[in-house]
Amino acid sequence: MALDGAVKDYGSKKIGPITLRVESGEIVGFLGPNGSGKSTTIRMLLGLIRPSSGSVRLMQSDPIRQHEKALAEVGYSPELPNLQTFLSPRELLDLTGRLRGLSGRALESETPRLLADVGLAEYEGYKISKLSKGMVQRLSVAQAMVGSPKLLVLDEPTIGIDPAGVAHFRSLFRDFVQKGGTILLSSHILSEVEALCTGLAVIHSGSLVYRGELQKFVPTWVGARTISVELGGPADDALVRALSGVRGVTGVKASGEKLLIEVSKEADPRGEISKLIVGSGARLLSMGYSRDELQEAYVNSMRGTIE
Amino acid sequence: MRAGRVLTLSRYEIRRAVARKKVLAVVALTILLDTAPYYALAVAGVSLIPATYHPYLWVVGIFIPQAFFLQFIALLIAAGSMSEEYEQGTAEVLLSKPVSRSEYFFGKYLGGYILLMMVVGLNAVLTVSSATFVFGPQVGLLVLPLVLVVQVFSGLVFYSVAFMIGELVRRSSLSYILSSAIFFTSEIVGIYLTVIYSLTGEAVFKTASLYLPTSPVDSLPLLLAEPRLPGTVQLLFRLGGVGAVETSVAFSVLLIAAYSVVATAIAIAYFSRVDIAKKIA
Repeated sequence: MALDGAVKDYGSKKIGPITLRVESGEIVGFLGPNGSGKSTTIRMLLGLIRPSSGSVRLMQSDPIRQHEKALAEVGYSPELPNLQTFLSPRELLDLTGRLRGLSGRALESETPRLLADVGLAEYEGYKISKLSKGMVQRLSVAQAMVGSPKLLVLDEPTIGIDPAGVAHFRSLFRDFVQKGGTILLSSHILSEVEALCTGLAVIHSGSLVYRGELQKFVPTWVGARTISVELGGPADDALVRALSGVRGVTGVKASGEKLLIEVSKEADPRGEISKLIVGSGARLLSMGYSRDELQEAYVNSMRGTIE
Repeated sequence: MRAGRVLTLSRYEIRRAVARKKVLAVVALTILLDTAPYYALAVAGVSLIPATYHPYLWVVGIFIPQAFFLQFIALLIAAGSMSEEYEQGTAEVLLSKPVSRSEYFFGKYLGGYILLMMVVGLNAVLTVSSATFVFGPQVGLLVLPLVLVVQVFSGLVFYSVAFMIGELVRRSSLSYILSSAIFFTSEIVGIYLTVIYSLTGEAVFKTASLYLPTSPVDSLPLLLAEPRLPGTVQLLFRLGGVGAVETSVAFSVLLIAAYSVVATAIAIAYFSRVDIAKKIA
């Protein structure tokens, strides 16, 4: 999929120009605050709205002029899915399958398989209006996956789903990509993006502020990085001093059995740090970059400055 | 445009319309009004109606609802067809599938129209069976298929107008109000123009009334059926206040087609160019 300088001008508000490409096999997180233009970008991509200028290609086709061809292998799960409440999950998936050109045995086998995949097999005959929010969200993902699409566009796909369900869906998405699929995942849940995505696109006030690998986003938008270390006992002063001398380390804070080591963003001294800790006789239980880094980088990218 | 997808969407539209309680309520009311009078007469005493009319009483249930209830049902089915999908956000879900806008449009248009045909058919079956049950064997029924086809054809005017308004305003309540307003205004203006014409004799008032959308809709079934039915029925029509405006079949057909084609063309042109909104309500 590719947006090339795509602009949507609503008169009072303008989204774009956005240039964004997602290549086959990627899981790209699409981040941005409310009203930044994520939904507009997705809707331009799906041919639901026309760009005022620029071009959009989806599966090598124009999603407005060649809508059927462009969408033939694309599944979409919208944010806060508004599904046909008078249908049952089975009927909705049947309808989706038929619209995707499935029939006969292919359709008969697809619907129960997908309902089982998303944990709704026992609710197949219920009216959608009777399902909980989390179940509707599950169903929305299932309808996006009908007909084995090659690209999934998922807008907040796990909102309202219980933790076990979230873990299951993440594994479902990873399987999908391992089988050759591509995912554009719009989400406000940074941990989800961090856990799933290899690529990242960040939009702010209608403009794309980052597009690249997720791993490179954090070093780009944080001033310093923090390595969190958990030891098997209290850290002694000698170890702290030794760690402070490691190249790239700008500060070390010890608090009981935990160490917070600030490092410059260009450096990655984790190897040397672990060697020093083990060499000092301390037990190293865990070590990794702080979990809040993506959030910090995201907030900085929104501000346009690094603090 | 693939016929399979259009038919899938038509079936979906029938299902969706039936799930709406307001459509079902008006259909039930129409059926009640079609059949209840026969059973009321059965209770009150069949002898109240002169026996010469008994074999033709099916025409009452077929023609009297034509002018009002069948048009109103057409309007109700069509007014929410597009607008409710926008309000509920389901248009976005359907159109994110490999479905062209023309398939979506015609699928929904056809589905609603098939539902209207089913209502007209059900109305006929209930009417004829009620009349037969209460007043004995009915005659002159050979004309009934033609009447039903013409009723369904006449229904196109307000079906298309309401469909167009639903697409243009994308709000179901507004769509129902505007479509109903056009229907009632046309009926009322038609009555006024006829009264003024009969008082003044000025041809312009009669001509103006002929061009109102309700005029061909009300007249065409009667224009085609009356010559094929005996004088007894014509007397029955006059007793029931049913009457065609003095015009020709060709003019009525042309006017129905013109209103329907223009309204549908506007709806298609708008739908094919305008963005698909997210949930509106």
